[in-house]
Amino acid sequence: MKLPKYPLKAEKSLMVFEFTSEGPRGQIKKLVKYSETNLKDLYNLAFGDKDDKTSEINDKIISNNGDSDMVLATVVATVYAFTDKYPDAWVFATGSTKARTRLYRIGITKYLLEIKRDFQVFGLKDEEWEPFGKDVIYEAFLVKRK
Amino acid sequence: MNIKELNSRKTPIVTIDKSLEKFKKQPLFQDKVDKANEILRKVGLPKKQHS
Repeated sequence: MKLPKYPLKAEKSLMVFEFTSEGPRGQIKKLVKYSETNLKDLYNLAFGDKDDKTSEINDKIISNNGDSDMVLATVVATVYAFTDKYPDAWVFATGSTKARTRLYRIGITKYLLEIKRDFQVFGLKDEEWEPFGKDVIYEAFLVKRK
Repeated sequence: MNIKELNSRKTPIVTIDKSLEKFKKQPLFQDKVDKANEILRKVGLPKKQHS
């Protein structure tokens, strides 16, 4: 996505990324992690705020730093970096709350045409995966690089 | 590559930071991973892949 993004750091396997959100609430470090699941080549994508003092990660907190589009664009950038390194990987994502899942759905919908050029995109509805459609409420999302 | 080209790249430039290695081993977001495993156990992968 041709949106502004934050600079990214990662460890060498590109399974953990970090960036710093900047806004009215100051600088907030964000950690993005791709975790293995019980299915081969399928990784769970999750991200949250990192407390620098304790190194604890909170994915329930609402940062309200006024940069949610830029944060999502940066997370999407990690999906590009991750699937460049692991082209056979499936990436699974869901929000920590229904409201957050809805925000992700809105984000995907907003840039769907562009995302679909590079990824197959699925939404989970009634316990079945279907090609991602606009205005459909999904419980989770799954993408794979084309 | 100029700044404009850099900004329009889909794949970002990533700086390697060894201090992040420790998070790779930590069971972060375990509730989400458990939820993903539970969903995937029931539904698996999409039956048909689309182009």
